[in-house]
Order: sequence, then C-alpha cells, then structure tokens
Amino acid sequence: MIQPRTPLRILAPEGAAPLIARELSRRRFLSLAALAGGATVLAACTPGGSGAPAPQATGGALEDSLSVYTWAEYDAPEVVEAFSAELGPKVTLDSYGSNEELIAKLVAAKGTSGYDIVVPTGVFIPQMIEQGLLQKLNKDLLPNIANMDPAFLGRAWDPSNDYSICKAWGTTGYVYDKTVITRELTTWADYFDAAQNEASGKTAMSDDPAGVVGSYFWANDVDWNTDDPDELEAARAFLVEKIAPHVAAFDSSAGANTIPQGTHALLMAWNGDARLGIQESSDPDRWQWVLPGPQTELWMDNWAIATGAAHPEAAHAFINFAMAPENQMLNLEWVGYNVGGKDMQGAAEEAEVERLDMIFFTPEQLDSMHEQVLNDSLSTRVEIYNEVKAAAGA
Amino acid sequence: MTTQTETETLLQAEARAARPGAAPRRRPRRSWSDVAFGVWGLLVMLFLFLPIIVIVVYSFNTGRLLAVWDGFGFDAFASILVKPAIQNAVRVSLITALIAAIIATVLGTLAGIAMARHPGKWVWWFLGLLLLVSVTPEIVDAVALLPFMVFLGQDLGLSMFNDGIVRLSVGSSLFATAVVSYIVRARLVGQDAQLEEASADLYATPFTTFRRITLALAMPAVLAGFLLAFTLSLDNTIVAAFVQVSGTTPWPVYVLSALRTGLRPEIAAVSTIMLLLTLVALALVALVLKRAGDSATQIARTMTGG
Amino acid sequence: MRNRATGATKKRSSHAQAGTASAGPTAPVAMVVWFSFGYKPGVFGTHANDVLSFDRYVEAISPTFFATFQNTLWVGIIGTVLCFAIGAPVAYWMAFKVKPQRRGILIALVLVPFWTNFLVRTIGWQVILAPEGWLSTVLQGIGVLDGPLELLYTRAAVIIGVVYNYLPLMVLPLFVAFDRVGPALREASKDLGAGKIVTFFRVTLPLSQPGIIAGVLLVFIPLMGDYITATVLGGAKGNMVGQLVAGQFQTAQNWALGSAMAVLLMLLIMVAIGVSAVIIWLVALPFRSRNRLVLGPAPETAKTDAAPAAILEATT
Repeated sequence: MIQPRTPLRILAPEGAAPLIARELSRRRFLSLAALAGGATVLAACTPGGSGAPAPQATGGALEDSLSVYTWAEYDAPEVVEAFSAELGPKVTLDSYGSNEELIAKLVAAKGTSGYDIVVPTGVFIPQMIEQGLLQKLNKDLLPNIANMDPAFLGRAWDPSNDYSICKAWGTTGYVYDKTVITRELTTWADYFDAAQNEASGKTAMSDDPAGVVGSYFWANDVDWNTDDPDELEAARAFLVEKIAPHVAAFDSSAGANTIPQGTHALLMAWNGDARLGIQESSDPDRWQWVLPGPQTELWMDNWAIATGAAHPEAAHAFINFAMAPENQMLNLEWVGYNVGGKDMQGAAEEAEVERLDMIFFTPEQLDSMHEQVLNDSLSTRVEIYNEVKAAAGA
Repeated sequence: MTTQTETETLLQAEARAARPGAAPRRRPRRSWSDVAFGVWGLLVMLFLFLPIIVIVVYSFNTGRLLAVWDGFGFDAFASILVKPAIQNAVRVSLITALIAAIIATVLGTLAGIAMARHPGKWVWWFLGLLLLVSVTPEIVDAVALLPFMVFLGQDLGLSMFNDGIVRLSVGSSLFATAVVSYIVRARLVGQDAQLEEASADLYATPFTTFRRITLALAMPAVLAGFLLAFTLSLDNTIVAAFVQVSGTTPWPVYVLSALRTGLRPEIAAVSTIMLLLTLVALALVALVLKRAGDSATQIARTMTGG
Repeated sequence: MRNRATGATKKRSSHAQAGTASAGPTAPVAMVVWFSFGYKPGVFGTHANDVLSFDRYVEAISPTFFATFQNTLWVGIIGTVLCFAIGAPVAYWMAFKVKPQRRGILIALVLVPFWTNFLVRTIGWQVILAPEGWLSTVLQGIGVLDGPLELLYTRAAVIIGVVYNYLPLMVLPLFVAFDRVGPALREASKDLGAGKIVTFFRVTLPLSQPGIIAGVLLVFIPLMGDYITATVLGGAKGNMVGQLVAGQFQTAQNWALGSAMAVLLMLLIMVAIGVSAVIIWLVALPFRSRNRLVLGPAPETAKTDAAPAAILEATT
C-alpha cells in the first residue's frame, strides 16, 4: 500500500501516542473500522442481542415494552390498557394454539424467542423447567401474591411457585340436554351409560388424549396418571369397544360452540366453556352442567417468564398488576374461569356474576380434582385415543 | 402481444364490416346448454358464498358468542378499535399473504415454464418432490421450518430471517410455489414452441421472447396461480403459528387460539371488513382497467385468456 | 443455431432453477426421513438419532393406521371426484360461455369466499346446518324433512366440508386448462359437423388433459394429508390419517414415530396415485386408440413435453 500523503490525525492521551503509532496503520484502521461498522450494523439488525446474558429483574426501572405469549382473548382489555396507562410499558399480545407449539418455539429459539411472559398449562411446566425454558420469578417484585388463594399455589408441578403462578384454573365435567336425558346424571359412569343409550350418536368427547382416556379412570376412581399396562388395557377395551361407536364428535370447545345450537345431547366440557354455552343458549334451563364424581381433573394456566426475556422488570410488574384484586375480578368476568384469588366469591356475587357454582367450588369438590402428570404412559394414551377415533369414524 | 387465432381475426373483421346498420351475420344463439351452464355456475357461486353471507350477517351480532344471535348492533366493529392485537394480526396476515403470493408466483412461474419447455426425467422427480411436500401434514413442514429458520437467523447471522414477516412469507410460499408451478406447466405443456421459435427467428433476444411470448401465453395461469397463492397463504395456520415471532401473530393463529375461550362477534366483524376491502380492491382494478382504454382491455383479455 | 445455443443455456439454467427451487421443499421431506429412523428419548424429549433402526416403522404399521387410512382414502377419492363433477362445469362455463371481460372478475369471485378465515367459514356452515337453525326450520316447514336437520357429524357433512374447501383448487386449474384449448379448434370441430358432446370428448377434453390432471392432483394430494377440513363438519366420521401424524408431533411429542407415519403415508399415497393412473390409462385406452390418426410420418416439431398419454398426436 502506498504511503498516505496526508497524515492521519488522532487525538489521544500522551502515553498512548507511541502505542497508537506502532499499532495503527491507515489500512489497519480502515479495516478495523469496517469490521466495527459491520458488526454494529448486524448487531443493530439482530433483535435482543444474541449471546448477551439475559437481564435479571431486580426491581429497577420498567422497560418500555412487554411481550406476552398467551391464548387469544385471555386477558381483559381493561387490565392491559390500565397497566400501560399506569405503569408505562406497551404490551404486545401474541397468541399460540397449543402448549406443544409454545414449547417447540421456545426450544428452537434457544432463549431468543422475543417473548417475556408465557402462559403454559401446569402439566407442561416440569418439562419446561427441565429444558431450561423458564426463569425463576423474583418474589420480591410480586407482593400481590398475598392476594392468591393458597389452595391454588404450590401445586405439584411447581411446589414453591419458583417459576409459575396461577393465572386461571378450571376442571372438566359434562353437560346434558334434559329434554333428551330425563334422568339425573351425577357421575362419570352415568356419562358413559347415557352415551350408550339415550345420547347414542349425539355424544361429544374432548379432542385430547388426556380427557378421553382420563374419563375412564375418573369413572372408576383410579389414579388417572397410572402407567400400569393392565389398567391402560382395560381403559382401551372399554373406550374402543363400548363408547367409541356412540361418539359423534371430538371437540374440546364443545360447550360454547354447540350448546346454543343444540347439536349434541351429551358433551364433555370445561366448566367455563360450558358456563358460557349455557348462558348464551336461548333456553338455559334445558341444559344441566355436572361436576362428576368420583374424580375429575384440575388444570391450570400459569404466568411464567421465559428464559432470555428481554423485559423482566415489566414482566414482573405485569404479573403483579394482574394479581391486584380489582384486576382479578375483571379477568374473572372476562375469561369466565376462577383466577385463583382469595375470597373472590363474595365480590363476584356483588358484581352479579352468573352461575357462580360453575366457577367456585367447595373444598370437597376441590378434593376430587386431580392434576395431570406427564409420564411414560403418554404414548400408550395417544395410541388408545387414536384407536377410539378410528373406531368412532368407522 | 395478443395471440389471436385466424378465425377470431376474421370474425372481428366481419363484425367491423357489418357494424354500419347491416344485420350481423352471426346472431348469438343462447342454446339450452348455455343457459344450463350459466345456472349451474350461479348455483355454485351461491354455494360458495352462503357461509360468507351468514358471517356478514352475524358480524352485526351484539351477543357474546359469534354464532348466537342476540341483537343487531355495531358493537363488534367498535370493539375492534380497542384491540390492537386483532388489528395487528390482520395487518400481518395481509402483508404476508401478498409477499408470499409474489414469491410463489415468481418462483412457480419460472419452475413451471422450465418444466414445460425443457422437459426431461428431472421434471417427474421435481414434480414428485413438490407433491410429496404437499402431502405431508402442515405440522411436519412447521417443525422442519422453525429450526431451519432459527439456524439461518441465529447461527448464520442472516438477521433477515429473524423478522416475522419474512419468516411467515417464506413459510407460506412453499406449498403455494408448488401449486403455481403446476398450473403454469399445465398451461404451457403440449403447446408447440413454434411461437417462441418464430420470435427467435425474428431476432428477438431470449429475454424479449420470454417476456412477450412465453409469459403472455402463460398469463392466465400466472394470474390464477397468483390469486390461488394469495388465498392459500392467507389461511396458512400451522406453519405460520410455528415460525411467527413476537408481534407478528397472523390472523388464522389468532382465531384458532380464540376458539378456546369462545369466539366473539369481533371475529366476524373483521372478516366482513376484510371482505369489503378485497371487493373494493377488485372493483378498483376493474375500473382502472376499463378507464385505461383499449390497450388495457386487451391486457385484461390476455390475462384471462381472451 | 441461435435456438440451439439459447436452448442449451436455457436447459442448464433451468436445471439450476430446479436445483435451487427444490432446496426448500426438500428440507421437510429429508428431515422426516431422517427422523423416522430415530427414537423418542424419555418423556420430555422429542427425537434422537444416535441409534438408527426401523422400529418406528414397525410401530407405525398398526391396524389403527390402516383403518384410518381406509377412511382417508374414501374421503379423498369421493371428495376429489365430487370436486371434479361440481367444478368442471363451472370451469367450462367460465372458459367458454362467459364474455372475456368478465372472466377475470369471476376467477377472483370464486376465490373471495376463501379470503375469509377457514374457521370462520366453518362456523358459517355450522350455523347453516344447525339442527335448530333457520335452514332446518324452513325445510321442516315446507315438509322436506320430518325432523331436525341431521346433517352435521355425518359422512355427508364430511364431504360437504371437503368439497367446499377444495373447490377453488379444482376450478382454477380446470379453467386454465379449458381456456388453453381456445375457441379456434372447437369451432373447427363444429364446422366439420361434430356436435357439442363429440367436440367436448374428442377435442376439448384431450387438449385440456394436463390441466385436469393438475386439478385432480392438487385436490387429492393435499386432501390426503389434511385432517382438519374433514372433521370440522363431519366430526368423528372425518377421521383422517394426517391427524395420527400431527398427534405424534404435537401431543405425544414423538417426532420419530410421527416421521415414520408420515413417510408411510407418502408411500401409500404414491401407490394410490399409481394405481389410479393405471386404471384411468386403461379406461382411456379405447378412446385413445380410436382417436389415433396419423397422416404420413410424424413431422419434426420442436421438443415439447411428452404428456403421459400422448394424445396430442391425435385430433384431426
């Protein structure tokens, strides 16, 4: 390279001058500058800054935005707006269609998904913790946890609530048309009986191996997470041979979708979904909701913060905000499920929320609800579910 | 350049000659079969639009659930204004579908022309591959695409692939490209390459031949393919759900997710608005073509194979 | 000389085009084949490939799979045939009976209903077919039905849902195919004394054959992998094999087994297409041999695509 005709002027401390003169030639300077510039451009384009360790929440200032990855229409708009108005961060809500999708995305993104708050269902949380997809919550930033009913904290998937807090929980039961089924049904055995008799060809089950296979165990008062091959085989035989031919549809949202149209006479449904369907039906007295014995399930959607969240302060603030009593009531009314708050039944009665018996349950009823655990029996359950569907479609 | 057959030229000359006052030589006959076809076409159109009419009606529902009529009102439309999530989802879907349709049309047209004009054993392998891709349920494409895009975006540093819109467009264009290439190939195949040869003999460069002959011949297929690709990309749910990033939830994913808590009439309201927008766009295009005069009408005729 | 030169470069560039274009679609297929030889490591893992075996294929081949595939084949074939029966007259109408200025609008109109989201369209149908909905009431009122409309969750509803959602994929390629024939040859045929039916079977149909194949395949193949369309109106009766595959990828988180099922599905579909192609070829044999009319030695035309049944050499 030709000697530069105009010397390069650099302003530097006196002691550094010889070092600079030694190390820096014009060519090297330009190439270094180009590198630095290119790196800056690339870094500017890449969101989040890959490789940098995620900031931990320490109660500092709130960031100016927040990304929540949850079910659609699962947060009262008033709550979200109030949060932005009072505390500042702009909230972006994104939707997913299933928990497995959520997990697959977090796994693939390796900490750069761009989501701060995620809302997984409880049964998937052990898996997510093991795969390092969730970060620990800083409980100091969540004083409103005191507003949560202890019965809904400390569940099996996260006993000390290090990673998750209840957002909303529900259970599974069934609804039947009293004009078609004139007798009273109270247990899962009654459900199966009616499915084979009065409601044959007009029955709906949930579109989910957990519900389909689980209902057999609930009916027979057996631990529904069992991986005993004999019990699973008994479930398979019963469901495929006795029940499948009478099932018309597999629909997890059968409550809100079909109760008002009167399409099924007997349908398995979540409590909030059934409540909505009956409320919106033109003839609510025609339908009877049952929380069946001897057992049923308890599922729970939880607040959690994803590993690598870019806005942990805002995330904690939002979760804390959602646990304030007035926001809990707003969310309960919007979603139609129990949000796990303390002493909400009285307030709900005052707010004239309808059909409270489908949201609030007695301690005895709560005892009959059991959580799901993912274990090795999963593949067998999916097989049974596939067989039931094939038999129903034959 | 339009491709008119000799017969058409003769007919036009006849029509021109016959215009001043004289009775036309060929009176258009509406035979029973013409009427029957027209009736059938209209019936099928009605069949296609029936659920859409229902949705438009139910977008004025003031109830909580979409499918349960409670009363007439504009509440649904009003509540869209306070839900940025919905507005965002629609915007993302429309932009993505447009980009995906353009990508699919360009790639598909080139592939289709290549398959039709330069056949060989490779055509069948390529077709087979494309069709195999279409048979795999979307979830398979989705779980394949997501790590691939993360790899491109994160490990290789091509930050373009971290952008939601880019990801969604690329994801939706796979199947659409297959569709377009197949239709374009079907259009061109079997037609002699005589016109292209003639063009070459008349000293046109390969690019001019491509632009003014081949592309013109394939135009109806390209147009049909573009519209079909747009339609397919607009409804792409599973792949879109997997490759989306924060802030770019596409509309079908939003609707699927909202199913869990009971669809509200806002969903129907949004559908009505999208329908109106597309109809307005179509009307505008038709108006522009009509106003632009003869040459534009000729272009339109070429595009639809007149 | 110019032709040959341009022809050669075009061929090389088309190979390059094909190469780059097939890189995209190859990825999922390659991944699926690779995963199918792996296994599921433990409860929370999705796939692992350190130990390769055919075990997943053995697992995938079960009576449930074949029972479900049978149902899928039934839906696929009837759906495609009905789509063709309903869509072909529409395409024919659009291509030949409608004024050229109106064709563009009609093509767009056929697609406009499908710019509404799939789930929303389905709900529209559910409202229409509801046993206690207005259609049911009207039909009961006129006396066509003597009970509520029992169409939902039956096999008929499966077909309605499938035909409705796949009609554009059939109509558009068919339109392009019929349109390609052009009015000239059909007019010539009529001038030579052939009636409408004869013209259709001996001129229009053979010339539009590539487009017909395109339409049929574009409906049949995605339909075989689809599992949502059949269930939205048909419920349990719309059980399709795609759901087995998707279930393994989602609920069971067992990508290895899901991939094995997907490969199996692809193979079975290729067999199904092969068998139907042979059947159609055999059925068309008498027509083809009747149409075969060669006047003198075949002229040296430019290289064109030899369509599977070289009907092009026939006609006049």
